[in-house]
Amino acid sequence: MHELSMADAIVKTVIEAAEKNDAIEVLEVTVELGQITLLNPEQLKFMLEVLSEDTIVSGAKFNMEEVPVEIECFSCGFKGKADTDELDHYVPIINCPECEERNLNITAGRECNVKNIKIEKSDEDAQDS
Amino acid sequence: MHKIADIEIQHDIMLANRKLAKKNQKILDNANVFAVDFLGAIGSGKTSLIEKLIQEMDYPVAVIAGDVISKFDAGRFEKYNVPVIGLNTGKECHLDSHLVEHALHDLPLDEVDILFIENVGNLICPVDFDLGSHIRVVVISVSEGDDTVEKHPLIFKDADLVVINKVDIAAAVGADEDKMVEDVKKINPDVQVIKTSLKENKGLSEIIESLHKFMAE
Ligand SMILES: Nc1nc2c(ncn2[C@@H]2O[C@H](COP(=O)(O)OP(=O)(O)OP(=O)(O)O)[C@@H](O)[C@H]2O)c(=O)[nH]1
Ligand SMILES: [Mg+2]
Ligand SMILES: [Zn+2]
Ligand SMILES: [Zn+2]
Ligand SMILES: [Zn+2]
Ligand SMILES: [Zn+2]
Repeated sequence: MHELSMADAIVKTVIEAAEKNDAIEVLEVTVELGQITLLNPEQLKFMLEVLSEDTIVSGAKFNMEEVPVEIECFSCGFKGKADTDELDHYVPIINCPECEERNLNITAGRECNVKNIKIEKSDEDAQDS
Repeated sequence: MHKIADIEIQHDIMLANRKLAKKNQKILDNANVFAVDFLGAIGSGKTSLIEKLIQEMDYPVAVIAGDVISKFDAGRFEKYNVPVIGLNTGKECHLDSHLVEHALHDLPLDEVDILFIENVGNLICPVDFDLGSHIRVVVISVSEGDDTVEKHPLIFKDADLVVINKVDIAAAVGADEDKMVEDVKKINPDVQVIKTSLKENKGLSEIIESLHKFMAE
């Protein structure tokens, strides 16, 4: 499993953005994780917390948002969310919810996206206040 | 007083790898090299298959051998006097396009027509990491059990060719290789599935024929 290296890449991305924006602290990090990305959200979150220690990201709240699977069907043209409710976790990659055909393309649900961060900045006259 | 700011980042770590993979494919295309990524379970026969292909295909070949810590597989390929780069992934369970990019720089691509990449034996992690190869060949064997395909659907969804190896021992391990073929077809209806026994040289010519077809495309 590669949660550790993914977490490392996420923390690096966050630190870079935080420094570029003159943050003194990172309060929140929102990560979008595809429903069928082969990463475990709980493990990833734990690694993120561990790797953040002693960095500007230390103590930040990590929000993990799941991105549902979306497909594009080559048979009937259906585009949209795959029906994942009562089905096995992998069925959405197999059948189109409209026509049940199997010839389809997965268009969403495989991401590991650092979406945004909430930071605290020292404003210009912070010293005076 | 401090102020709070929301900063939009939108940096997809997966996308970063895919972009690098596209760059790798450009490097390969510029050198007219056709690249094949071999993925599959541990011990399914990836190295054995590449060894046979090196011997049977009349092309100058190079190999990238991905392994967690050893150089065993790289050593096996070196015996055929082809350029080989052994990539150790260390803790990682898959090759990624950054590692492959380094290997591409170290290979004499101009002297090569086909590049075989042996990924780390793993049916899960390599799935999310394109390397820039032109096709993906998934190699499994009957000895992993005939429910392997059902358990790991994603790797088969993305496969361009599927090899079910070691059919010579199917009866001995109580596996139904035809069920495995059907399971693959359920997930990826158009993909070609070839049953092989590399030990008995069965199915090898079909694989070579299939590779030729892909190279002509
Ligand atoms: N019975 C039988 N054994 C085979 C066949 N193909 C390969 N083997 C044996 O299976 C073992 C593993 O083969 P490798 O080619 O090293 O497999 P691999 O997928 O490269 O293994 P890793 O790189 O360690 O994941 C070796 O002992 C091979 O001799 C086959 O068709 N039938
Ligand atoms: Mg091997
Ligand atoms: Zn992994
Ligand atoms: Zn449809
Ligand atoms: Zn991995
Ligand atoms: Zn590098």
